[in-house]
Amino acid sequence: MNKQSMWSLRLSTASLVLIPVAVGVNYIGKLIAGLLKLPLWLDSIGTVLAAMLGGPIVGALAGAINNIIYGLTADPISFVYAITSVAIGLVTGILFYKGYISSWGKALAAGIIIGLVATVVSTPLNIGFWGGQTGNIWGDALFAAVLANTDSTWIASLLDEVVVDVPDKLLVVLISYGIFKGLPKNIVQLYSHNDKIETLD
Amino acid sequence: MKKLAVEGLKYKYPQSESLALDNISFTVNEGEFIGIIGRNSAGKSTLCQALVGLVPHFYKGAYGGKVLVDGLEVKTHSIADIALKVGMVFQNPFTQVTGSKMSVYEEIAFGLENIGVPRSEMVQRIDEVLKMFKIEHVKDHNPFDLSGGQMQRMAIASIIAMRPEIIVLDEPTSQLDPGGSEEVFQAVQSLKKQGITIIMAEHKMEKLAQYCDRILLLDNGKAVDYDTPEKIFSRDDLESYGVAAPVYTKVCKALGAKKQGTNTYPVTLEEAEAVLKEIRR
Amino acid sequence: MNSISLYVERNSFVHDIDPITKLIYIVFAILIPIILPSFTISFICVGISLVLLAFAKVLRKTVPVFSFVFLILITVIIIQGLFKPENETILFQIGPITMYQEGLLFALTITLRVINIVSAFMILVLTTKPSELVESLVRKGLSPRIGYMIVSVFQIIPEMMAAVSTITDAQRARGMETEGNFFVRVKAFLPLIGPVVLGSLINTKERAMALEVRGFNSRVPKTYLYEEKTYAHSKLIQSLLLLGIAGAIVWRIVS
Repeated sequence: MNKQSMWSLRLSTASLVLIPVAVGVNYIGKLIAGLLKLPLWLDSIGTVLAAMLGGPIVGALAGAINNIIYGLTADPISFVYAITSVAIGLVTGILFYKGYISSWGKALAAGIIIGLVATVVSTPLNIGFWGGQTGNIWGDALFAAVLANTDSTWIASLLDEVVVDVPDKLLVVLISYGIFKGLPKNIVQLYSHNDKIETLD
Repeated sequence: MKKLAVEGLKYKYPQSESLALDNISFTVNEGEFIGIIGRNSAGKSTLCQALVGLVPHFYKGAYGGKVLVDGLEVKTHSIADIALKVGMVFQNPFTQVTGSKMSVYEEIAFGLENIGVPRSEMVQRIDEVLKMFKIEHVKDHNPFDLSGGQMQRMAIASIIAMRPEIIVLDEPTSQLDPGGSEEVFQAVQSLKKQGITIIMAEHKMEKLAQYCDRILLLDNGKAVDYDTPEKIFSRDDLESYGVAAPVYTKVCKALGAKKQGTNTYPVTLEEAEAVLKEIRR
Repeated sequence: MNSISLYVERNSFVHDIDPITKLIYIVFAILIPIILPSFTISFICVGISLVLLAFAKVLRKTVPVFSFVFLILITVIIIQGLFKPENETILFQIGPITMYQEGLLFALTITLRVINIVSAFMILVLTTKPSELVESLVRKGLSPRIGYMIVSVFQIIPEMMAAVSTITDAQRARGMETEGNFFVRVKAFLPLIGPVVLGSLINTKERAMALEVRGFNSRVPKTYLYEEKTYAHSKLIQSLLLLGIAGAIVWRIVS
């Protein structure tokens, strides 16, 4: 896959149909995580899968539309976090197309990188909108503890986000990679960007 | 008049080693009803998709030969252009719902909006197909709330509203219960009455025998035979292509009861009845 | 079919306002307190939104969304009141717990800001059909392809949720453990989500082809089944809102 095709802005119809499905996968990921009472969000599996299948642009679009839908259906504040989702889609797409998510070990490392990127993007938003909190009980407990013992909202907020985001994205990337490996070849092929028709004449 | 001409069509999916379609040629006249039969993976779906341009434009891959739809060469035109000449209905009733429209009425409008049909004409065309396919009573329902048979008729209606001259149906009843299948076959029959050229891949041989003018037998991406239902279903080697003749033909074959004055067996109930009465006499 | 949209059908003048105007109102409600930071202005903005929600007869429907937000806001108030680094002025003490004025004021700022944003968005979300919002945006120049993606999510999610509940029942019937320690529950995640994801991805192929044969990529100018809805006073309200924003900026510079 060459560089140019990774950044192709001309979306194929297949990629276009993939994006709503990706948002749906995010949604049911969150639903099942809640059903199983997991202390993680697991609400970006679709975004990560879309980025693996369709590249960074498709991943970023899936992330943006995901948060628009969340904003319209559950929590208006999530519009703001569209920036984080877009970053997750972009970074995953780039890592994947550069071949950095091609084994379980690499997927593990990629999960940590993606988690850190999400943290860096989200922390200023958390500070701006929530005074630094994430809304996750465990993370916010840590936030309170750090805030009580240091005098930096930034450090507290960063730690709050790291302990939530890194394990979450790590698990998300591993789950997505597992699903990706189980996909039939002709489905994976569908979203790739080769746009030449060879001739048999 | 030739409505459809396929000349030496070859096709290979991307990253596949073998040809999915291997040198296929046939022609279809205006108003004909053509059946496509063969075992699973014989190339039926691929051929159907080649007639509307999904092969090669949607999949890419390697392509050779020519498909001419009403004089339009598929290879050099976009799917949207070809869609004005030939429509297609797929197997799964659920997946061909666009998912962006909240009622059956709006769902049918989707294609018309895309091809720029003016509003007054749009409304007229939608009302017409709702009536034609007997789904008027559900026009305000959510598309996903319909039964399988209703959904598939909505899919056909959505295509017919675009006024193509040819319609391709790829096993439209394979995922329906018997009631739903019957509804769809009746809908297809009404298309034939209107003189629309029909191409249909299907496993229900009794139905094909009843409606088709000619049948194309595919195997391994190649066209084995292209002839009338009587000739195709009377072949001795039919089972080696994974195809079972209609039950009436099988019975008559077992009894050695050929149609009078021909070398073929009956393919429909009526024909079989006539031939068997003849024998009893 | 279940809908995930929060739209509530009612007869009110708020429902009849142009979705684009509602979008501009959101921008207005967010910008004004940023340009003119004061509790009074924030209260006024929240007040206007709540009054509009009341006129739209959807005030009760905001409760689930607000209670979700309040849950987080309560922790913000407690944590900031107790631990904010700038805390100095003691407000009150209960046993070993000390509440500070700086932290509480900061928490109040955040609370007002969040409630302001949420209530402004609620006007759009509760009184506008998602499909109408998208259609007005498409008529204003949003790519119909992006529009398709947004609208179709509203159809796809309920479908996928139904599939999840079918699979959850099936897996439980087969004796899969969905309760127990963390690892047992994580292990249950994949077999629950996997089949739905796989099925949905496989379906995208046929759906994409079905869109193609219905002229989805046609270059012909698109027509619309419904006539463009005309909304009363769109231009007037929109200009007033924009004028309000401009006025606030001028006020800020001058004073």
